[in-house]
Amino acid sequence: MTLKILTVDDSKTIRTIVKRAFSPYDCEVFEAENGVEGLATAAKIKPDLIVLDLTMPVMTGVEMLEKLKADQTLKTIPVIMLTAESGRENVLRIVKLGVNDYIVKPFKGEQLIQRAEKILKLEPKKEDKSDELLQRYISQKDNFYILTLPDKITKVVMVELENVLNKAMEAMAKSGNCILNLQNVVDINVSLVKAILLVLEECQKNKVKVKLVGSSQVSQELKGFSELGGISVYPSFEEAMK
Amino acid sequence: MKIDLKSFVVNGVKEVFDKMLSMAVENVALSSNETIDGSKVVGSVSFAGTILGSVNIHIPAKLSKVLAANMLGLSPEDIEGEEEINDVVGEMSNMIGGYLKSRFCDAGYPCELSIPSVTKGTDFKVESLKWDRHEKFGFKEDGEKIIVEVFVKGLA
Repeated sequence: MTLKILTVDDSKTIRTIVKRAFSPYDCEVFEAENGVEGLATAAKIKPDLIVLDLTMPVMTGVEMLEKLKADQTLKTIPVIMLTAESGRENVLRIVKLGVNDYIVKPFKGEQLIQRAEKILKLEPKKEDKSDELLQRYISQKDNFYILTLPDKITKVVMVELENVLNKAMEAMAKSGNCILNLQNVVDINVSLVKAILLVLEECQKNKVKVKLVGSSQVSQELKGFSELGGISVYPSFEEAMK
Repeated sequence: MKIDLKSFVVNGVKEVFDKMLSMAVENVALSSNETIDGSKVVGSVSFAGTILGSVNIHIPAKLSKVLAANMLGLSPEDIEGEEEINDVVGEMSNMIGGYLKSRFCDAGYPCELSIPSVTKGTDFKVESLKWDRHEKFGFKEDGEKIIVEVFVKGLA
């Protein structure tokens, strides 16, 4: 069952970090900007966990928590409090509020997941979504696995690429050959270089030979990135598979 | 005993950069009138209680985009508006200010922290007058300079 997580924080940055932390798991993350919105959303969706900031305009985390605990239908929802203040007095105050746990900012996404796992059973995202990802990125030609990158490398693409490599690497290692297809790539920038390096690194670890295929423009422009060490870009699959 | 602002600020800044940005900043010496030239973003938070004060974090505009991208897990090209940069710089100020506030409280100076504010511009100075202590600390990340200024009244 997909778990519902509610992140209540006036900072979009923190809400994004919370969303990203839960993204590998079978969770739907809902957002609210302050305590008022947070209470309304909690009443509507009945989340399995609330990640609540302490200091917010309109209604603070403390006020929201008090109202939550006073509501018979909402009081059992577990709450992890986020606070930028780690002083002894503040920590004692938070503990007394009846939260399940608290995290002092700055924090890493992994820390949040570790705490959430003490409260919830987090399951990885469902297989069918991974299969859909694999189909989107991976195809096969003879003994070669072809990994095709999209036109633009965004953070989402990087996360998907990591998942795809995790899923497909065993089969790729058996074949020993991979073609990284850059024919759809439009934006040639640092993000693309990072994606290429990720593929090269993972393949090298698993003893998979990688050949790049792309246009002459891609080939030319990638020469400007010393990180790639002047790797060759083949103009076609046939050339790369020779 | 005089409160060691330097260790508070250096530890706070290093922790924020390490945990939120996976970046290692280096504490560097500054001359007394050293500033950041050109376009910059300044995040500020104030604290009030048994002591009064504020913390200002000066970040070159170019670096602020990289920091925003890093914290949001994007590439700098994906940062399209100033809203994301302001939010990230505000959140960094909140965390560094929160760290300082917590240390002040633990040292016997209870105080409350304000919500952060962010200012962006070119060649401006933030001046605060009549503070007991005004200290400035420099940091370097990938060759770019960051300055953290602390103004306090009522602190040992």
